[in-house]
Amino acid sequence: MSVVLGGVPVLDRITAMIPRGGCTCIVGPNGAGKTTMLMALLGKMPHSGAVRISRMPDGRAPRIGYVPQRMDFDRGMPLTVVEFLAMGVQRRPLWLGVGRKFRERATDLLERVNASHLGSRRLGALSGGELQRVLLALAFQQDPDLLILDEPAAGVDFRGGQLFCEVLENLRAAHGFTQVMVTHDLGLVSNHATHAVLLNRQIIAEGRPHDILTQEHLTAAFGTHMGGAVVDIATGPCHCTNHGPDDASPGVGGGQE
Amino acid sequence: MPDLSGLMHLVGLLIPIESMQSLFMQKAFVGLLLLAPMTAAMGVQVVNLRMAFFSDAISHSAFAGVALGMLFSIHPHWAMPLLGVTVGVGIVAIQRHSMLSSDTVIGVLFAAVTAFGLALVSRAPELARDTQTFLYGDILTITDFDLMQLAMLLVVLTVFEIWSFNRMLYICINPRLAEIHRVAVATYQYIFAALLALVVIFSVWAMGVLLVTALLVVPAAAARNLARSAGGMFWWAVTISCSSAVAGLLISALPQVRTATGATIILIAFAWFLVSFVPVAARRESAR
Repeated sequence: MSVVLGGVPVLDRITAMIPRGGCTCIVGPNGAGKTTMLMALLGKMPHSGAVRISRMPDGRAPRIGYVPQRMDFDRGMPLTVVEFLAMGVQRRPLWLGVGRKFRERATDLLERVNASHLGSRRLGALSGGELQRVLLALAFQQDPDLLILDEPAAGVDFRGGQLFCEVLENLRAAHGFTQVMVTHDLGLVSNHATHAVLLNRQIIAEGRPHDILTQEHLTAAFGTHMGGAVVDIATGPCHCTNHGPDDASPGVGGGQE
Repeated sequence: MPDLSGLMHLVGLLIPIESMQSLFMQKAFVGLLLLAPMTAAMGVQVVNLRMAFFSDAISHSAFAGVALGMLFSIHPHWAMPLLGVTVGVGIVAIQRHSMLSSDTVIGVLFAAVTAFGLALVSRAPELARDTQTFLYGDILTITDFDLMQLAMLLVVLTVFEIWSFNRMLYICINPRLAEIHRVAVATYQYIFAALLALVVIFSVWAMGVLLVTALLVVPAAAARNLARSAGGMFWWAVTISCSSAVAGLLISALPQVRTATGATIILIAFAWFLVSFVPVAARRESAR
């Protein structure tokens, strides 16, 4: 797959696999094309080549949940968290209230992301970490087979990022979805991912994190200053554990046709 | 055309004050009660989507609509909405398919329709008289046909607000997120633009080009300050819009006041807006 924006190649003939049921991290420096790759994967970015997403065992196309990076929205808008979670699924207009079924569903989703106390809060009043957990709950509203996250912990404090990471791990262990996450946090990749794609406009390396996060690959992706990072990433600050892939969720492959 | 005299008589009975016994006041009252909930509901989305400039562009297409109607022998009642919807849908189409920013696209089309309208008006001196009517509006000259058009538009808009309020809210918050989560963003944007264009054009008759956007924006802005939820903002906007419309009509007709109805309505809505800062300040104080 290739993406050219304004005559500049942002992604240059990349080919990568995303194993079903695993946690794949797309990692690279700023401007490497990580978010562009996600958008192409979601079909929101014109590209050449092909993105192939396997169908589910029952033959249907996988449902996709998406958690954006630092969602840009109007924080002054009056909107409660429960309304936010109901707006995509409830047909009855919110000016006639949130139905009991949808209120219970929202409460359940918030409990899953350790945010049950946030239901009546205004969306714009949430902290960065709280908002990311609510966005995760919104993505779960889709009952996703494939969960795509774009630097979900960017701009969130350490504790908030750690909590988000733990919630995500527990959910993946419980629901077995395929997770694709963009990040430039190598500690998170090392502790969290089952598969990693090292990207800098081209694929530098792809495979198990401990196999590909080598000095040689990191230097190729990030430049010479990353040499010492290899030693630290295995004992990085993220305390999440790995869960191996299973066969319940879709796998994704992209390549040049 | 149904006979509306019974309805007008009922209005006179329900509001037993002298000014409301005139037929033109009764028609204006009914017209405003049809218009105010529509502008309130659409205003909520205009404020949340930051589309005030869009409604300005549509209202300024009124001149071009009238002039085109003259050229092609189409009554302004049809020519204005037709051109308004065309401009509204055109703005959305260009926004979606070009790299230009939203306000640049609107600014370009705003200038184009205004210039086109003024160019045609300058060639037809008989139209120049109407220009002032469009600038300031006149709800007191509303006809039965206008009332029927407003009633039909209210039905269509109510259906739209029931069917799409939640999805429009999704789009207001983040269109990309909405699209990925299977909301048909483009469809909603086109339908909303077309309906907003119709509401704006029909409001031009009542409020005038200069004040149309205010009728959309001011009640919704006050509602935004007063409400704590999306549902609450909707009802506050409807309450403020309807109460401002009725109070504005009645106050403007007082012998000691005798001001333009449209301007009086907006001034009352603005008073609501000022009052709406009281709970905002109280919330800020309690948060400390």
